[in-house]
Amino acid sequence: MTRKIDDLANAVVRRQLGRRDFIRRAGQLGIGASAAVYALNHAQSMAFAQDFDWQKHSGTSLKLLLNQHPYADAMIANLETFKAMTGIEVTYDVFPEDVYFDKVTAELSSSSAEYDVFMTGAYQTWQYGPAGWLVDLNEFIQDPAHTGPEYNWDDVLPNLRASTAWSGVPGEALGGEGAKQWAIPWGFELNSIAYNRRVFDAHGLTPPTNMGELMETAAKITKDVDGMYGVGVRGSRSWATIHPGFLSAYANFGETDFTMENGQLMAAMNTEGSKAMHADWVRMIKESGPRDWATYTWYQVGTDLGAGASGMIYDADILGYFMNGEGNAEAGNLAYHAFAPNPEADAPTPNVWIWSLGMSNFSTKKDAAWLFMQWASSTDHALFGAREMDFVNPVRQSVWDDEAFQERIAANYPGYLEQYQASAPGSKIYFTPQPLFFNLTTEWASSLQQMVGDQIPVDEGLDQLAESVNRQLRQAGL
Amino acid sequence: MQRQTTLGRIVRGTLLTLVGMFFLFPILWVFLMSFQTNQEILRIPPSIFFEPTLQNYHALISGRLETQTGTLEIRFMNNLMNSVILATSSVALSLLLGIPAAYAFARFKFRLGEDIAFTLLSFRFAPPLLVLLPLAIYFQQLGLINTYSGLIWVYQLITLPLILWIVRGYFEDISEDIEHAYRIDGNGWFKTFTHIAIPLAKPGIAAATLLSFIFAWNNFVFALILASADKQPVTVGALAFVTASGIQYGQIAASVVLSVTPTLALALYAQRYLVEGLSLGAVKG
Repeated sequence: MTRKIDDLANAVVRRQLGRRDFIRRAGQLGIGASAAVYALNHAQSMAFAQDFDWQKHSGTSLKLLLNQHPYADAMIANLETFKAMTGIEVTYDVFPEDVYFDKVTAELSSSSAEYDVFMTGAYQTWQYGPAGWLVDLNEFIQDPAHTGPEYNWDDVLPNLRASTAWSGVPGEALGGEGAKQWAIPWGFELNSIAYNRRVFDAHGLTPPTNMGELMETAAKITKDVDGMYGVGVRGSRSWATIHPGFLSAYANFGETDFTMENGQLMAAMNTEGSKAMHADWVRMIKESGPRDWATYTWYQVGTDLGAGASGMIYDADILGYFMNGEGNAEAGNLAYHAFAPNPEADAPTPNVWIWSLGMSNFSTKKDAAWLFMQWASSTDHALFGAREMDFVNPVRQSVWDDEAFQERIAANYPGYLEQYQASAPGSKIYFTPQPLFFNLTTEWASSLQQMVGDQIPVDEGLDQLAESVNRQLRQAGL
Repeated sequence: MQRQTTLGRIVRGTLLTLVGMFFLFPILWVFLMSFQTNQEILRIPPSIFFEPTLQNYHALISGRLETQTGTLEIRFMNNLMNSVILATSSVALSLLLGIPAAYAFARFKFRLGEDIAFTLLSFRFAPPLLVLLPLAIYFQQLGLINTYSGLIWVYQLITLPLILWIVRGYFEDISEDIEHAYRIDGNGWFKTFTHIAIPLAKPGIAAATLLSFIFAWNNFVFALILASADKQPVTVGALAFVTASGIQYGQIAASVVLSVTPTLALALYAQRYLVEGLSLGAVKG
């Protein structure tokens, strides 16, 4: 029986048999879908391993630091494949997201060699990279002695590759000349609209196509639908309030956070365009946002959509994806929509959050660590995660092109693929990389809170913000 | 003594019930949440009528949490056990070191005595984050990182000053004459300490033990920075229910109920000593 399923799996790898036929024939052999998928995955990994010596660090032990996240779950579910392929023993520590980056920062800043590989966001690498805590992964990616021919780095979406690479010079473009690859993109989220289709259909609403329509539709939901407010966006005093929908909309109006003047970074939050965009955003929250907006984080925005407390969200697409799953009152009712707030914009410009893998510069097993990173970010594992788990959004084009993945998403998440296809070309990090990112962006969120709370008019608030940001930049010598 | 009228009793009872409800309602609500599914908790408007389920407790105890994105492995019971080990051992060590020290500070005058006592108290002044990074580096060098013994040592920063200063106050309040009388009978200072001072200071020791246990139990940041996932206490473990794919409110409520239970049990047990301590203060001349 085992041999038969292995033969079938190898036939799929050789492209002699389709995936759907494989599952059907495995069923005829009395083998369940999950066992069949495991066999297929194993066969693909073994094929992947043929052209490269994956065993060269057999016997080594690695330790990973992971955030509790579906991406980590997908990797853990497939980890035995890596161990069997390489002979490397892998242990891991999983920490909840609320405390995860405190743990990472403490480990790296104390030069700890405890963890070899860890999950990181791209923004965090702007602090970790120039501090000397991360390995520049270009030295591995570009070296055939370290990287197998199947790896296909170019398959990783170009904007994501660029967004995780930086020269370390404040204000210099991500992925530009001399940029160091501080992390490998692993999974990512872009920002668009997820909405409650049941409510939209019942009230004859259509997804908004610009900022004016967003405000209008949100106000209508707040007014007409009992117990529901119009639009969920984040509002806590944190950098995380700025980076999702807000910055995506901001960028769509052609606004930037900084400009470079005479070699110096200058705050650009108080231009006329920025003031107009801020005024609309503030009005939208006041009219149709959640009552406790100033406390809203990823969790509240998502929970409200899933529970039917909000009509739509302008946030990470995968947040809407997760909320369409079982256990939510509105499971199956959510739909997705690409969004360009500026009526004059050609396409959406979603800012992205990229969960990535970084290698600790204090690791004593860098070569083995790279083998793990290479496998974890390979097409093979990405396909497994995207087809069988919630390793979404994938960072590789080949996974987006995969029929099985497309079928699964189309069947369960209406409009998700279309939303992605329309959003993807313009999706990248729209922040200017600089080492004070977290402090200054948190101050931006604080300023937004004051505007929504009527403590300060929008124009005045942004002038004060720009002044404060410039002062801090000068104090830091930037 | 004036007898209370029926109306007075009713008004008093009603007011007491209202005050009790005001303070106890959040706890009651969390308790009720622990027997509901996420969907029931999040329904609009909320309701106190629901079909109770044990699935939240089952998930915590079995270590498997079902979410919309699959099954998560959770280590809540392991976290709970870590909290028990860390809080109990830290308090025990602090009692062992702190009570004799408190007695010494209360009874004997010696050079730099007050300075040393104040230095120990000053451990409570420094924000933990300020000392954690240097501590992490030292712990790596000493091989104490990710060990229970290392954590128990660090927890002394929380528990030792508390025990020392509270118990010292109690020792100072006990009349020295009783101890002198005992010593005149030919007993040494150590016997006086164990047979006279400690029994008399029992209410204070109980109060200090309870307080320091609560502080140690609630600590969050020391284990987070100085240990791996398998040594994390319940305060960090409870965050595991806040996931990218949603907040598991039912499991959070169940974890609150389970994690409060040891402290509550200890508080109930220590209550009689605490009351004794208060009464002692009330009748003292």
